[in-house]
Amino acid sequence: MTLAAGHPGFMSPTGVEIAFVLVGIATLGAALVTVTTKQLVHAALWLVVALGGFAVEYLLLTAEFIAWVQVLIYVGSVVVLLLFGLMLTKAPIGRSPDADSGNGWVALVVAVAAAATLVWVVVDAFRSTWVDLGGAAQGSAKVTGAILFRHWVLPFEALSVLLLAALVGAIVLSKRGAPARRSLLSKSEALPMRGVPSERKARES
Amino acid sequence: MTGTIHSLWTTAADSATPLDKIPTPKIEYAQLSPVLIVFGAAVLGILVEALLPRRSRYIAQLGVSVTGLAAAFAAIVALAADGYASAKSHIAAMGAVAVDGPALFLQGTIVLVALVAAFTFAERRLDPLAHGRRVDSFAAQGSTVPGSEQEKRAVRAGFTTTEVFPLLLFAVGGMMIFPAANDLLTLFVSLEVFSLPLYLLCALARRHRLLSQEAAVKYFLLGAFSSAILLFGVALLYGYAGTISYGGIADVISGTAKMTPALANTTANDSLLLIGGAMVVVGLLFKVAAVPFHMWTPDVYQGAPTPVTGFMAAATKVAAFGALLRLLYVVLPGIRWDWRPVMWGVAIATMVIGAIIAVTQTDVKRLLAYSSIAHAGFILAGVIALSPDGVSSVLFYLAAYSFVTLGAFAVVTLVRDAGGEATHLSRWAGLGRRSPLVAAVFAVFLLAFAGIPLTSGFAGKFAVFKAAAQGGAVPLVIIGVISSAIAAFFYIRVIVLMFFSEPQPGGPSVAVPSALTSTAIAAGVAVTLALGVAPQYFLDLAGKASVFVR
Amino acid sequence: MNPINYLYLSALLFTIGGAGVLVRRNAIIVFMCVELMLNACNLAFVTFARLHGNLDGQIIAFFTMVVAAAEVVVGLAIIVTFFRSRHSASVDDASLMKL
Repeated sequence: MTLAAGHPGFMSPTGVEIAFVLVGIATLGAALVTVTTKQLVHAALWLVVALGGFAVEYLLLTAEFIAWVQVLIYVGSVVVLLLFGLMLTKAPIGRSPDADSGNGWVALVVAVAAAATLVWVVVDAFRSTWVDLGGAAQGSAKVTGAILFRHWVLPFEALSVLLLAALVGAIVLSKRGAPARRSLLSKSEALPMRGVPSERKARES
Repeated sequence: MTGTIHSLWTTAADSATPLDKIPTPKIEYAQLSPVLIVFGAAVLGILVEALLPRRSRYIAQLGVSVTGLAAAFAAIVALAADGYASAKSHIAAMGAVAVDGPALFLQGTIVLVALVAAFTFAERRLDPLAHGRRVDSFAAQGSTVPGSEQEKRAVRAGFTTTEVFPLLLFAVGGMMIFPAANDLLTLFVSLEVFSLPLYLLCALARRHRLLSQEAAVKYFLLGAFSSAILLFGVALLYGYAGTISYGGIADVISGTAKMTPALANTTANDSLLLIGGAMVVVGLLFKVAAVPFHMWTPDVYQGAPTPVTGFMAAATKVAAFGALLRLLYVVLPGIRWDWRPVMWGVAIATMVIGAIIAVTQTDVKRLLAYSSIAHAGFILAGVIALSPDGVSSVLFYLAAYSFVTLGAFAVVTLVRDAGGEATHLSRWAGLGRRSPLVAAVFAVFLLAFAGIPLTSGFAGKFAVFKAAAQGGAVPLVIIGVISSAIAAFFYIRVIVLMFFSEPQPGGPSVAVPSALTSTAIAAGVAVTLALGVAPQYFLDLAGKASVFVR
Repeated sequence: MNPINYLYLSALLFTIGGAGVLVRRNAIIVFMCVELMLNACNLAFVTFARLHGNLDGQIIAFFTMVVAAAEVVVGLAIIVTFFRSRHSASVDDASLMKL
């Protein structure tokens, strides 16, 4: 702990800066490829690189809990879901010539303007100051958890409601197949309508 | 060296000490009860889906929803009667939500709107019988491809999507937190809580499923985009102030907060605050459908199932304007000289463009969508006033507008032909001859939209424009009156079309609704006329509820 | 260590994501670009948390991630259903509706 107070992280300050520059460039590059590549599946895979880059940046900022959550949620599940989505919508494996819409130039102008604005905001906000951080590492799971359940209880509960709503909604939109099986079992439509076991299970889980 | 690594990667280094007890957060359950009741009813609805046999679900869901919403309204009235709207208003739930006049007024409006909307959701007499069963406006099974054999099987088996009721309740709960949110994190989370169910509900129309799914995709992508913009704004505001609670940010802006070295760095310059505030406001303007962030509105309103459109058009606007009011009046009044000119421009563009494009529409639902855009502009005029009168006029306008909208969309569900609702305007020609009552009711709603005296629309517009004029925005009021006149021209034209042109041969028929939709329409007419003939009581009510707590 | 460089990175990534939303046609790729934007927000949050020395920013980043996960679930359900009826996930094919 005493060592941690002296250093912002597990590397020397210079090490952190070098790591930041390298990882930052990698993240930017991966993001650019994600946005521009004509191969849809490659976009998802480059997204993994970009998201991993974010996780490393969080570690460099000593936010270890967030870093690992990033790896678990984003790299672990969101990208997998997105890849499944690409697969289910039968995205072409090779190059898709029509991957971009025709308004590329407009988008470029808008993007450059937006980037200029946002970068200018940061330049302008910190023009006169040089922030130097040498504080202790923050963001361990323990501290994060304590703050989460002391101060942010209501948003946290709202989040659980959100997850429940998303779960139910996604099942409503994707559950299918039940009527076909029932009509195979029996031609009579007067049978009492009960959910078949698999459907029940899907709804309850 | 190992010690350093430990402190970063794990908490094992000090695991020898016993785990600290986390102090219990203080949650005021009684003051949060309206929201808790709605979410409780939603969870109950999911249990109904899971446990009850299919044929008894519909009636159970309707019962749970109506009971839950009515109980929530009763709780809101009890809180208001107890003085939480005025003297006892305070910040609850560890600073997450505010319990004050505007919050309770808007929550009450949202709950009543949802109650009426639940009736239109449950309507089962408009569509012809499908295999001997009555069907509602929602797809038999959301996943089936429209027109496929599988869909026919699902219809034959009598499937219905009764899950729409819990989804409705989830959305209502989110909307109730949204205008009451007292920090930017609660704002963001509640935004998502009401948006996600709405995206899903949009995709579930029984008729015109392709349009409906397309609307859902558009709404979802643009909604996600706008919430990302809002979130970056939140990040910049947090960077500026070092806190995300509304009161804390306002203190930092006014310079009364305790200075720390970090704060001295970030507040040396206002650019983080200005751009951050702008991006959060843009995120909210997306939700209220103000120009130039209105592109999604006509498509989504047209494609979504009409009961959902009515609910969305009414309740989303109430919730989002509530959040916008609180943000501008509680957090950002310190920089009003910066945001007021911009909001002036947005309000003018919204009024004028909404009214002018409405004139060119040929579809009733798109017409109502553009009219809702124009109304967003009128409400913005009241928001800009930045006075207690401004708040109360906006509250009144929102209550009046939401019931007119609900009623108008409920009438749209009645006019049908073989393909479902006949929404093309040419099909409405001569409706007044064929079905005078329905046409007359729709005319009342159109007159209210136009702001003709003795309807709630007039009282609302008068209040909003008066507040704006007193706030020094006379040019805005003049432009508002002109664009009202442009819009009125078109509403009157629809009335003329309904009453004074020959009915088409083979034109649409007017379905006879059950008591559910009749109640919804009657509620719309009643509120429209009551707020139009005797607005003073409700204006006083809104006036009493117009003070934000900090 | 100067944390302001992280803010530059975050701003650039945010605009790259935003440009992607405007340019790309495939709905899922558009959604990936939105995810990129949300991640850029998170980077800004964590950086500001470091700068201010409080944990609120990290908490928001955590919330954002969970919200994004829920959004992915809903979004993919909608997009896949849309694809099944249309056999295309292209945003431009969504053209039944015109101004």
